[in-house]
Amino acid sequence: MASHGIPRVSGTLVDKSEQAKEKERRQIERYKAAEAEVIDRIRVKDYSATTLQATSTLLAQNPEYYTIWNHRRLVLQDAIAKEPTRTQPDDDIDAADLTAARLANQTPAQHQIALLLTEDLAFLLPLLKQYPKCYWIWNHRAWLLATATQHLPTSSAVTLWQGEMGLVTKMLGMDSRNFHGWGYRRTAVAALEGLSGGDVSLVEPEFEYTTKMIRANLSNFSAWHNRGRLIPRLLVERQASSEDRRKLFDAEFELITTALYTDPYDQSLWFYHQYLMSTLDTGNKHSVSILEPCTHGDRVRYLEQEIESIREMLDGAEDCKYIYQALLEYSMRYLEMEVEAGNQKVTTAERKGWLEELRKIDPLREGRWNDLESKMKL
Amino acid sequence: MSLAAGPGRGGGGAQGQLPEELQLVVEKHVAYIQSLDTRREELEYHLTEHLRISGIYWGLTALHLLGHPDALPREGVLDFVFICLHENGGFSPAPGHDPHMLYTLSAVQILAMVDGFGELEKKVPDGKTKVARYIASLQRANGTFAGDEWGETDTRFMYGALNALSLLGLLPQQQPDQPPMIDIPAAMAHVKACQNFDGGFGSEPGAESHSGQVFTCCGALSIAGEIDSYLGEAGKDRLGAWLSERQLPSGGLNGRPEKLVDVCYSWWVMSSMAMIDRLHWIDKGKLTAFILQCQDADEGGLADRPGDMVDVFHTVFGIAGLSLLGHPGLVEVDAA
Repeated sequence: MASHGIPRVSGTLVDKSEQAKEKERRQIERYKAAEAEVIDRIRVKDYSATTLQATSTLLAQNPEYYTIWNHRRLVLQDAIAKEPTRTQPDDDIDAADLTAARLANQTPAQHQIALLLTEDLAFLLPLLKQYPKCYWIWNHRAWLLATATQHLPTSSAVTLWQGEMGLVTKMLGMDSRNFHGWGYRRTAVAALEGLSGGDVSLVEPEFEYTTKMIRANLSNFSAWHNRGRLIPRLLVERQASSEDRRKLFDAEFELITTALYTDPYDQSLWFYHQYLMSTLDTGNKHSVSILEPCTHGDRVRYLEQEIESIREMLDGAEDCKYIYQALLEYSMRYLEMEVEAGNQKVTTAERKGWLEELRKIDPLREGRWNDLESKMKL
Repeated sequence: MSLAAGPGRGGGGAQGQLPEELQLVVEKHVAYIQSLDTRREELEYHLTEHLRISGIYWGLTALHLLGHPDALPREGVLDFVFICLHENGGFSPAPGHDPHMLYTLSAVQILAMVDGFGELEKKVPDGKTKVARYIASLQRANGTFAGDEWGETDTRFMYGALNALSLLGLLPQQQPDQPPMIDIPAAMAHVKACQNFDGGFGSEPGAESHSGQVFTCCGALSIAGEIDSYLGEAGKDRLGAWLSERQLPSGGLNGRPEKLVDVCYSWWVMSSMAMIDRLHWIDKGKLTAFILQCQDADEGGLADRPGDMVDVFHTVFGIAGLSLLGHPGLVEVDAA
């Protein structure tokens, strides 16, 4: 869209020679010609294979030209719409295709549609790898799959969606923070679950997937996010008892605490710790519950436990702002809950000290620490 | 208006030295923006035609903020906007392209800025209503909006819808005696479903928080008049904390944890901070210095970060960020 991360080239170094200008003029001519080829054909509703090819040429050069993706879909829709109107015998489909159709449990028409769509998926693949953050490419892929789901037998659609899961796993392996990938993964999971008629749930393998990603790289923010999103449903599907829920909760704390001890400076880890703590916070509209029931006693106990645990992290990491932020946040929540006994566990002097350190380490956010101080009413 | 990048780059003059005192080189930016439509001999001018009308909107907005609203001829701008209007009430980014929510928003924003709604009504009887109907037709059952008939949904389009309708004066709350053109409660329910435990918002329920989405969701809530009631002080503290963490030691802002700074977040993040009254949770001095370092003091324009190529998108959002920060000499901007 705009230019991101393109390093500067000084104006005087850009090649403005007549040769270079001529080259660019020809490139523009070729591009405009390729564009005209598509536009002219679409204008007269020429939805032939040649038109499809013309869109391929243009899109390979400029996948952001979304109108051409729209035109491509018109061509595909036309081809698909013509399929069911074939009358027997299917004499323009070759024998190999007829056999393949039978084996895949598809009618000959469905098979032709499947071929058309898989060819388009193949066309998209190198483009997607080259432009992994292009909305229009992901959109077209989603449209191809939705169209397949609409026209093909369930088994064919499932196979295609499973292929998509494989693709997304590869893409997220290359860039785990690609939100297009994560969004598409959610779509694929929902589609597969939907196609099974509600018989299959992918929550366990998806949870395992986040475990794998985290093991490969602790600082995997998006994987932690997804893990948190999956847990509530995971517990419901496991028909988890209160005890099961507590076990999982404690195991997640164990996991994140171990990680934090190795690297308390990693934001992704603190983010997940905050998520776990948020499940104890009744004041947060968007917090989910893990413990059920979650009593006042539970909330107090975990706050105490974590304040103690985080206090210990200070040893060797006295300049880590996230530690002080966590201590201040949780001590405040703790004191709101344990109004009388609270200040024996966490003293005013301590809290003042943490705030002072935070101000020193993180002067950028001075305005926020000032507001925090007023809120703390020290 | 070209969206071609360069030729300048952020980070100072040709010698690569930063000026002693970072100044906003207003005249250079004006000239840069004016030059953009003359770059038709560059391939990239043609490759970015699918954004043209947004490019004009970005350039025009920057000029208005810089105090030079007439630097682009009004008539030329209006002519272009009208040739982008389609029969169905939607606008495309350039003639020959298909209409889309994003470019309908840019068109309406341009018309509002140059006071062109009168001309719209003259050209197309009931033009504003026509445009509003196109926008309304894109709302989905769950309250969110699609970008076009092909169905991609995203909170960006919901924000676009609410912003455009508010500029057209056709939001339900702006014409309470008329049947509502869109379903605000459904839209608001969807926005709220996009919020995460960390206070931020994603592009759809389940998506991780992202500054761009925070902007669109806060903008939508603000326009609908629900931001204060929905967030409350606790919610504003939580979201404000997440947003304030976007500032990195360089003074610049990133879009989400562990990502690089980018001058355009000076707008997405800071306008959100303004909407929740937490602007003071960011170091304004350091951010200002960062934005100014993204300028090309010789050729004009701003880049995503110092040392990169400039373009009109980063130019407008850097300048808008400066306006929010109260930088002297700039026109005041509306956060939502």
